[in-house]
Amino acid sequence: MAGRTVMTLTREAPVATVREAPPRRRRHDGLTTALMAGPATVLYVVMLVVPVGLAFYLSLTDWDGFSADPAFVGAANYARLLDDPELRRAALVTLLVAAAGTAGLNLLGLGFALLVDGVSRANTFFRIVLFYPHVLSALVVGFLWSAILGTNGAVNNLVTTWGGEVLPFLSDPAWATVTMIAVLVWAGFGVNVVLYLAGLQAVPHSLIEAARIDGATRWQVFRNVTLPALGPSVTINIVLSLVTLLKTYDLVVSLTAGGPAGQTQTVAYLILWNSFHDARLGFGSAQSVILMLVTAALAFVVTRLRRRGEMAVHQ
Amino acid sequence: MRSPRPSLVLSGIGCLLLLTGCGGGGFAGDSQAQQSEGGQVTVRMLVNISPNLTQAYWDGLVKPFEQANPGIDVEIEAPTGKGVADTLPQQLAAGNAPDVVETLMADETLAKQMLDLSDQPWAKDTPLAEQAKLGGKIYTVGVGVQAQSLVFYNRTAFGKAGIDEPPATWDEFDTAMGKLKSAGYLPLQTGGDFLTGLQLLQLSNPSRAQNHPAWQQDVSSGKIKAGESLLPYLKRYHGWIGKGYVDKNALGLKYADAETAFLSGKSAMYVMGSWFTAAEAKAEKDFEVGVFPAPVDKGQRHPGPQGATLAAPYMILKSSPQKDAALKLVQWLVTDPAAVKSQLKQDGNFRTGVEREFTPLEKQVQEILDAAPSGVPQGEGYGDATLPKGFNSAWNTEVQGLYVGKSPEEVAEGVDRWLAGRS
Repeated sequence: MAGRTVMTLTREAPVATVREAPPRRRRHDGLTTALMAGPATVLYVVMLVVPVGLAFYLSLTDWDGFSADPAFVGAANYARLLDDPELRRAALVTLLVAAAGTAGLNLLGLGFALLVDGVSRANTFFRIVLFYPHVLSALVVGFLWSAILGTNGAVNNLVTTWGGEVLPFLSDPAWATVTMIAVLVWAGFGVNVVLYLAGLQAVPHSLIEAARIDGATRWQVFRNVTLPALGPSVTINIVLSLVTLLKTYDLVVSLTAGGPAGQTQTVAYLILWNSFHDARLGFGSAQSVILMLVTAALAFVVTRLRRRGEMAVHQ
Repeated sequence: MRSPRPSLVLSGIGCLLLLTGCGGGGFAGDSQAQQSEGGQVTVRMLVNISPNLTQAYWDGLVKPFEQANPGIDVEIEAPTGKGVADTLPQQLAAGNAPDVVETLMADETLAKQMLDLSDQPWAKDTPLAEQAKLGGKIYTVGVGVQAQSLVFYNRTAFGKAGIDEPPATWDEFDTAMGKLKSAGYLPLQTGGDFLTGLQLLQLSNPSRAQNHPAWQQDVSSGKIKAGESLLPYLKRYHGWIGKGYVDKNALGLKYADAETAFLSGKSAMYVMGSWFTAAEAKAEKDFEVGVFPAPVDKGQRHPGPQGATLAAPYMILKSSPQKDAALKLVQWLVTDPAAVKSQLKQDGNFRTGVEREFTPLEKQVQEILDAAPSGVPQGEGYGDATLPKGFNSAWNTEVQGLYVGKSPEEVAEGVDRWLAGRS
C-alpha cells in the first residue's frame, strides 16, 4: 500500500495529489486527531445533542416538572399543539416580530454602519453610543422602556401635562406590538452596525475608487459596488437577527409581560410559561422542538436564498 | 463525505460517559445529604424574595433558630428563575432540590414530592390547616392569613365625593364610583400584569362564595362552569370600563405603578390583599387610607366570606436528607411567637390570637377578618379546592380582553374553553 497515490477532488481547488502515509503513521495520526477533536466533540454532544435529545424525549411525555416518573404519551403533545389557539396567536406575533425586527435591525444597522464608517474620533464615539444598548440586559431594557412608555410613564406624563390624551404604547395590542418591535430594534441594532462595519472593511477600496473615477454617484457606488460586496455580511446579519428574534423572551417579560390580554406573547414566552408556570414541561418541550425546527428551517431557507443571490451577483 | 473514524467516536463516547458520571443529574429523591465532618447539618430553604421579604430579612429571621440549634445551618436560597414556582422544578430536575420551600401550596402535582405533615401535632393548629388539606393530609403549614377581598380607599376622596359610608352592595359600589368620578377622581385603580384578573377575583369572592360555597369543587366536577358563574361580575366590570370608572389604559401600568398611583392620591379605591398595609405604612402621603370588605349582592350577608390565602406557606420535600432538621425549622417558623410575629409584621399578614403592634389600617383589616363568617379559597384555590395550575393567569388574560374589545360573554367562554382544555 505504501506509495499509493490518492486523488482528492474539491469544488474550488484543482486536483490535488498527495502521497498516502504508512499505516503506522496513519494510526498515530488518527489517534492524535481523536484526542484533539475529543473535547470539542464531547462539548458539542453534551451542550447540544443531549439537551435537544432530552427535549425531544420530554416532548413525548406528560412530565409536569415535579414527578420522577413521567408517562409516555407519544405524539399527544404535538397533536394538542395543532389545536392550541394561544400558540397560533403567539406564532403570529413571533413571526411578525421576527420579520419586522429583522428588517429594522438590518436597515438601521447598515444605515448607521455607513454613517460611522471610516476612522475618526467622532466615529469611534458614535460606534460606542450605538452599541451601548446591546450591553444592557434585555430585562433592564424592558423595565426602562416601560417606565418611559407606560401609561403613567415619562412620555405620557409630558403628553398629559401639555393637555394631550394618554398614548396607549403598552395598553393597546397593536401599539404594544409595535412598541415591542421598536424596543427590540433599539436594543439590538448596535450588533448589526458592528457586523456591517466589519463587512465594509472587506469591500475592495480599489473598486470604489474605480467607480468614482468612472463618474459614479454615491448612490451608484453603494448600489453597484458596496452592497453586492456586502452580500455575505447581509446574509449573516439577516440569519442572526431572525434566529435571535424568533427566540424573543426576556424583553416580553419585562416590557409587556405578554399583555395586554396576552396579545404580545411570543412562542418562547409561551414555552416558558407553559413549562414552569403551568407545570406542563412535556407540552412546553413539544413547543420548543417545533420552534427549534421552524427556526432552523427559516435560517436554512434564508441562507440558501441569500447564497443564490450572492452567486448571481458574482457571475 | 467521509464517515467519522471509530477511534474518534469511541473517544467521544468515553469522555461523555466520564462527564455524565461526574454530573449530578436526576429527579427528585437523588439529592445528596449535606452534612459536614463536624456533624453540622445544612437545611436549604427556597424562599420568595420581594420588596418586603428581602434576602437580609430571611437571613435575620432564621438566625435565632440557628443559635438555638447549633448543629443546624439554614441556607436561604433565592429563586434563580422568575420565582419559586419556576425555580423548584428546575432544582428537582437537576437533583438539587431544597429541603424546605416557602410560598407554594400543595396541589395534586406538588403533593407527590412533599412530606405528609399530618402526624405532626403542631401542624393541625396552624392557620387554614383544615382548608388546605389535600386528600385529608396536611402538606402545607403557614404563618398566618392574607385577607384578599379588601377595598382600600382614599378618605379625602370619599369626603369630597360626599360618601359617608363605605358601600356594602354592588349597586352602592357603582353609585360610589359615579360620585367619585364626578368629584374628579379615578374611582378604581387597576393595572396590567396579574393585577387585572386578581382584583376581580378578590372583589367577587364574598358574593361568589355565597352563591357557590364550594365553587372550585363544583367547577372541577363540572357541576358549574367557571366563566359562566362569574359572568355577572364580568358584565359589571365591562360596564366600569365603559363608564370610565377604571382607566381604559390601565393595562399599560405595572403592579408597582398602580400601587404608587393610588398612594399618590390619583385614584380613590384600590382592591388588594392585606399585604398592601405594609406598603401603605411606608408610603408618604397627604391623605388617610381606609379599608372596607368587598361588596356583595343585595340580600346577601355583609360582610361576606373573606377571600383568604395562607401567608408564608411552608412545605418540606420528601427527598430531603435532613427531614428531622427541616421539620424542626418549619415547626419553629410557624409556631415560635417571635418568628411568627416578625413574619406577620414584615408582610402585613394576620393570625387570630397573635397580638402585635398594628398600624391603624392593619387594625381595621383585623376587624374585617374577625367579622367575616369564613375564609374562602380564591381563584385557583388550594387543598382539595384546587383548579388546574395556571387558572389565575388564564383568567387574568381573559379579563384583560374586556379592555381590548372582547365582550363579557366571550371572556367567560374563553375561561371555560381554557378549563376544558386542561381537564
